[in-house]
Amino acid sequence: MTIKKWGIHAAFLALGLAGTALLAGPASAAGTLTISSPQDPGSWDPIDTFLVNWASVATNIYDGLTYRGPDLKLVPGLATAWEELDEGKRIRFTLREGVKFHDGEPFNAEAVKFTFDRLLGEEGKKGPQRSNYAAIESVEIIDAKTVDFHLKAPDPVLLTKLAGYGAMIVPPKYIQEKGDDYFNAHPVGTGPFKVVSYEPKIGIKLEAFADHWGGAPKLSNLEYRFIAEPATAVAELQAGRVDLVIPPTIPVGMIPTIQADPKLEVVSTAGPTVYALRFNTKSGPTADERVRKALILGVDRDAIIQSILAGQASPIASFQGALSFGNDPTMKPLPYDPEKAKALLKEAGIAAGTTLQIDVRGNDTTFNEVSQAIASYLQVIGITVTIKPYETNVLLNDIIPAGKTGAMFEQAWGGWTLDYDNTAYSMYHSGEKWNPYDSDAKLDALLESQRSITDRAKREEILKSIAHYTADRVLEMPLFNYNAIFGVNKRVKNFTPVPDSRLRLTDVTVE
Amino acid sequence: MSVTTITPRFARFRNLEFILGALLAGGMCLAVIFSSIIFPGGAEKIDLMARLLPPFVKWTHPFGTDPLGRDVLARVITGGKISLQVGFISVAGAVVIGVVMGLISGYYRGFWDMVVMRFADVQLAMPFILLAITFIAIAGGGLTNMIILLIVSQWVQYARLVRGSVLALRDREFILSARAIGVRDHRILFQHLLPNLIGPVIVLMTLNVATNILLESSLTFLGLGVDPLIPSWGGMLADGRTYLQNAWWVSVFPGLAILLTVLGLNLLGDWLRDSLDPTGRTSR
Amino acid sequence: MAGFLIKRFLQAIFVVIVVTLIVAFAIRLTGDPALMLTQGAGSVTEDDLVRIREALGLNQPFLAQYFGFLKGLFTLDFGRSFLGGTKVSTLLAAALPATLLLAFSSLIVSIAISIPLGIKAATSRGKWADQLIRILSLVGLSFPNFWLALMLVLLFAITLKWLPPSGMSGFESFIMPAVTMGIILTATNVRLVRTAMLETLSAQYIMVARAKGLSENVVLYKHALRNCAIPLITYFGLQFGGLLGGIVVVERVFNWPGLGTLAFDAVGARDYPVLQAVITVLSLMIIGVNLLVDIAYGLVDPRIRTE
Repeated sequence: MTIKKWGIHAAFLALGLAGTALLAGPASAAGTLTISSPQDPGSWDPIDTFLVNWASVATNIYDGLTYRGPDLKLVPGLATAWEELDEGKRIRFTLREGVKFHDGEPFNAEAVKFTFDRLLGEEGKKGPQRSNYAAIESVEIIDAKTVDFHLKAPDPVLLTKLAGYGAMIVPPKYIQEKGDDYFNAHPVGTGPFKVVSYEPKIGIKLEAFADHWGGAPKLSNLEYRFIAEPATAVAELQAGRVDLVIPPTIPVGMIPTIQADPKLEVVSTAGPTVYALRFNTKSGPTADERVRKALILGVDRDAIIQSILAGQASPIASFQGALSFGNDPTMKPLPYDPEKAKALLKEAGIAAGTTLQIDVRGNDTTFNEVSQAIASYLQVIGITVTIKPYETNVLLNDIIPAGKTGAMFEQAWGGWTLDYDNTAYSMYHSGEKWNPYDSDAKLDALLESQRSITDRAKREEILKSIAHYTADRVLEMPLFNYNAIFGVNKRVKNFTPVPDSRLRLTDVTVE
Repeated sequence: MSVTTITPRFARFRNLEFILGALLAGGMCLAVIFSSIIFPGGAEKIDLMARLLPPFVKWTHPFGTDPLGRDVLARVITGGKISLQVGFISVAGAVVIGVVMGLISGYYRGFWDMVVMRFADVQLAMPFILLAITFIAIAGGGLTNMIILLIVSQWVQYARLVRGSVLALRDREFILSARAIGVRDHRILFQHLLPNLIGPVIVLMTLNVATNILLESSLTFLGLGVDPLIPSWGGMLADGRTYLQNAWWVSVFPGLAILLTVLGLNLLGDWLRDSLDPTGRTSR
Repeated sequence: MAGFLIKRFLQAIFVVIVVTLIVAFAIRLTGDPALMLTQGAGSVTEDDLVRIREALGLNQPFLAQYFGFLKGLFTLDFGRSFLGGTKVSTLLAAALPATLLLAFSSLIVSIAISIPLGIKAATSRGKWADQLIRILSLVGLSFPNFWLALMLVLLFAITLKWLPPSGMSGFESFIMPAVTMGIILTATNVRLVRTAMLETLSAQYIMVARAKGLSENVVLYKHALRNCAIPLITYFGLQFGGLLGGIVVVERVFNWPGLGTLAFDAVGARDYPVLQAVITVLSLMIIGVNLLVDIAYGLVDPRIRTE
């Protein structure tokens, strides 16, 4: 009896589901682009997130005061102009007029103040974004279209940070009326697309916001589906049910599969993501600078990039990519020289057959192969390697910060601001979470000195010198700058890959 | 050694299930055990110049090469070590714990029975894979942890099985008389009771070795496996899924290795069940 | 009888308490959610972490958190996800039907395959067909399920383009996940059907039916099958719990929006409330099914009550 009842209930539910699917229509409906994203951030509130895949959707929903597109140039967003006052401790923004939120609420100085009061106040305290904007002391309304940001200290990266994540402008009246929890799942911004529906763990649907200040987007609808498993995302792409697979999803190994399909293509661009094997510089064999240098010399990084990574990466000399502010293009990576490596190891008194451990993220297929190739190169110079895979969040939150790693550990890093400060300060400053082993007073001083300089050229000089300094001390084995890889159906036109996952789809069309 | 005792056994040998099972499971196990003689060091040698060679092209790599240019055949054979270790050691552990617990709880009843059985209830109420993911997030991956996990999750099956058999046997004549003449408890348990209930236990063991080889591959698929430098079937299968479409041989051969080994064990288990456990207690 | 029911019920409650305690405790060993939530932030101070822990309610003692959870269990309020603040009950309400529907469809697939195969095996007992059916059903049991799933996707979604590769969207999307899970059960079910049929077929009334000249199919499917339906349904029902536990892998390959996906994401994100709720709900269902089966057996077979 119970089973029969079950059957009826199940059939009823199945029918209901089929109904929704029919209503939603196929992905090929005119003007709809379907995107596969690897993760559901859970909340669309800008202050709640730290995930790049929040940004890949939310960039279409919200605007910031400034805007940064695929060319990485900072241009006006909701602010049409700004000037630095009081030696960089006050920034005055002139706001765009006639802008409306998706619910019709007007955008004005009130909304800017509300956004930042919220971010820096009680509500922001519950989320991770607040600390990125800690330089802001207060926001003062001058008139309806002018605001002043008062800073505790100059922050040379602030204008960039205002283009993304926690600084997205939110509607005051809407949030006050509906509440923060409602806002999480029903976000409203001023961006080119507005949210139609959000189903947790399944997807989010957007439609064009015709009244956007930059003009209506060319597509009528965006549909994001959350698909974690790369093989599944690529299968959906091949089946034509997904038009675009965004990073970080597609492993290098699946690129030939996509390229073999005449309807699909792989589009990639240099991204902010850099990979390195960082060293335990405090104890064990790798405390010796010569050993660290030998380990780098012993690995043919170019061969790894050309073979395993199929050229989807470029060599790096310090822990930043070519796009990073502070990168010195004249700096060259150490060459591949196993003989010199052996000599250095001998000089340091390291016996052949010494075992070193590399800690890696267990779910990173591509890097898994890279680390195995590294192990085989090191075998040649007399180092036996063991690889220890960890669950990603365990490695990032418990093993590295606590200094419990092996002699080497995988570090992948990619600050969306593309400013070397973001990387270097976290990696090298004493006491930082990501720097469990090293403490260098000279490096600390260099890192601190550039933080309050707003003169770009001078700052870039210091950042470059930091890069050189870390390379001289051999603090890590710089491996490569990894591309952002997109799988695209050829029916998608006018698609420009973005380096930083903040993919705004206003100019894209579909056939 | 008379002819009459040999004939029925011989008849049993003709059973298709047994022949197939013994061939598959036995063959794979032998190949794996002697892998280091067949392929000395061959499974680890990386050659970035010879990546993803297709099978049956070069005689040195009959099953082709993987994304790092390693010989797939050598890795498939050597990779069985991890899978078989996980399969056999975890079952051995679970059997020892489960059988002892089952004997105690079935024979003494009362308090210990209640404790063991409530433990069993708790264990059975937990969804395994979710518990496994949580456990590995706490303790980390690796061979030892995976084996511990499987032991913890499987001893209950043996405990319940043995307890059931003991309950049925404990009031039988031969046990009662043994107790009456003052045979010690541990001798009754291990010399009188155990031999009479070992049949179903062996059946369950065979089937569980098969299950555990599959579980190892599932956990590795979810990213919870062992050192990627050590070849394992689950690991090769999980890594190979990236290449399923452009280099099928990377995952199809380890997949077949699992399939054939597990099938062999299942066939043996099924056959053993008919021979040793005619009442079908282990079919559940 | 009442005594037996009360005893079984109390035992079930005891198991619920122990299971939830273990789960709650184990989850809190997976690591600090505050670290997790701030891992993308520029620089994080200890103060920030303390603040976030406070906001998540993690500064309270363990038992207080546990009793809060137990209380929530009665009102179906499992709190909010740490990742994004969605109500856990909302997430469960979406994921539970997806998982149950998949488990149910898998059972149907398995039964649909195993009844004819089991009957054929029984009627040709000891012959080649019997052997072949048993071996084939064991092949199904021997596949690593995610590999089988990937192969099915390759064949039916990519090469033939008959079925959608993933997601839950209408009838077609159920076929591959249900077959992947159903095939695993088939080996056991074929055996169950075969054994049950063998017993039934030797019964008097089957002989009578045959003697009356009824067609063999009518005899098998109408008379014999109906008579072994009750034990079979009980067995099939028991498999439901096992299905729920093993669903994670298949859900992941097919991007199925069910409890497995929910829990898998929650472990990585250290999303205690979601993980705790999912494991607890699954455990409660397993305990519930076991209790029902126990009671049903107890009603049918008085000997069990005294055991």
